[in-house]
Amino acid sequence: MNSGINLQGSFIDFFQGLGLPYGTVKLLWLPLPMLLLLLGATVGVLVVVWLERKISAAAQQRLGPEYAGPLGVLQPVADGVKLLVKEDIIPANSDPVLFTLGPMIVVIPVFLSYLIVPFGQNLVLTNIGTGVFLWIALSSVAPIGLLMSGYSSNNKYSLLGGLRAAAQSLSYEVPLALAVLAVVMMSNSLSTIDIIEQQSGYGIFGWNIWRQPVGFVIFWIAALAECERLPFDLPEAEEELVAGYQTEYAGMKFALFYLGSYVNLVLSALLVAVLYLGGWDFPIPIDPILQLLGIDSHVPWVQLITASLGITMTLLKAYFLVFLAILIRWTVPRVRIDQLLDLGWKFLLPIALVNLLLTAGLKLAFPVAFGG
Amino acid sequence: MLKFLKQVGDYTKETVQAAKYIGQGLSVTFDHMRRRPVTVLYPYEKLIPSERFRGRIHFEFDKCIACEVCVRVCPINLPVVDWDYDKTSKKKKLKHYSIDFGVCIFCGNCVEYCPTNCLSMTEEYELATYDRHELNYDNVALGRLPYKVTNDPMVTPLRELGYLPQGIIEPHDLPSAPSGLPRQ
Repeated sequence: MNSGINLQGSFIDFFQGLGLPYGTVKLLWLPLPMLLLLLGATVGVLVVVWLERKISAAAQQRLGPEYAGPLGVLQPVADGVKLLVKEDIIPANSDPVLFTLGPMIVVIPVFLSYLIVPFGQNLVLTNIGTGVFLWIALSSVAPIGLLMSGYSSNNKYSLLGGLRAAAQSLSYEVPLALAVLAVVMMSNSLSTIDIIEQQSGYGIFGWNIWRQPVGFVIFWIAALAECERLPFDLPEAEEELVAGYQTEYAGMKFALFYLGSYVNLVLSALLVAVLYLGGWDFPIPIDPILQLLGIDSHVPWVQLITASLGITMTLLKAYFLVFLAILIRWTVPRVRIDQLLDLGWKFLLPIALVNLLLTAGLKLAFPVAFGG
Repeated sequence: MLKFLKQVGDYTKETVQAAKYIGQGLSVTFDHMRRRPVTVLYPYEKLIPSERFRGRIHFEFDKCIACEVCVRVCPINLPVVDWDYDKTSKKKKLKHYSIDFGVCIFCGNCVEYCPTNCLSMTEEYELATYDRHELNYDNVALGRLPYKVTNDPMVTPLRELGYLPQGIIEPHDLPSAPSGLPRQ
């Protein structure tokens, strides 16, 4: 692991050079990653909302947003502004504390999970040793928020929707965790950087998707269910439960749900890219090319190019998965609640366990290929 | 033991079939992306209504004989026919005729039953106003010629499905000479 650009170190050195004490400089540094996270996630959501509308339109042979900004790129901004200026309603006889807290508990863990998503070897907000596990633990907080929103709305359809959403979220966490566990077993580490490091070096053939094809499918289905995307969008099925647990929400609280669902989608796409598609890894291995051309990879301009390449590759892979999610939305019919739970417990869970066993067996038999 | 293996085999076969169906569906959806969108970008492109389109009613004051058949045949007795019997010429004299398009259902009964063909239906459907009283057309307003999509320089007129050449289902990107007749 080469030591590349250390922004925090440079920042601290600079301000200490100006004479400020260490504590104050650290305090000055703290808001910057937080702001970057929020900004990055929000811009990502704006892009994904625009993509969803344009790709859905293309799949349905129509045009999508055209007039709000060039090619309709300001449409999500218009949506956001509309939701911001709407009246904030709390229904009568509802529990105001739970009603307000519900969306927050659903959305905040998703934003927090962006801490572990790497865009390059040194381009990650925090390189925690428990990277992916942090994400799984945080995603388990969401069902509480869903139950709160459903229950506190004082509406029987919202209650049912909230219960179904919580059931769905819980059922698909287990196969998700098992699929991640198989990858972690191969990489011998929970940190996202280590997982990608283990896949890189061989170009496209080193990615985990070849060694874990079943795991990829399980993870993708479970991630779609966690994000409540079709075919698993029963909690907000428009024809069935009005809008499920989101029915009574208007204005900014609804904007939080709306934002949260797209942030979750982007996060899932990025994590699939990290776990199975090699993260920032370029399909053709770069280091041999650099060695062939005789360029030293520690020179700043080369580092800049490889870093940009890494960011581009991560975004491209995430885009491909988002495209797939949107295409699936308009291809597949919605599943019933019993079919949904059957799929989670009776189909994905056994297959995930078998996958785990198989990976363990292969790891012992072929340690060179499966992470000795 | 064998039964269990058979069950696993069936399960796997069903899974593979399900995956194949989903794959076929995805390919159809993906295929739709390469087709041209069928969106008619109103108001920059408008469809040319067909010949039998039931739009705003047109009234020729000079042809009317004030027989009031249109009123009797209308489901809501809507047309207001203001006539007087003129003793000197022993004829009915039409003073005023109006139809309220805020109430009219555009069924075309009055047009069908008019004995002198003074009533006809035009292709005009853009009747929106800010005040519903402006929708009460008098005989002057009813006598005006309709707005033609083909005469508007700001609008690209598009033909409807019935008027496109054989085999084409999309009105965009056609050569601009109109065919006039519905396709055989």
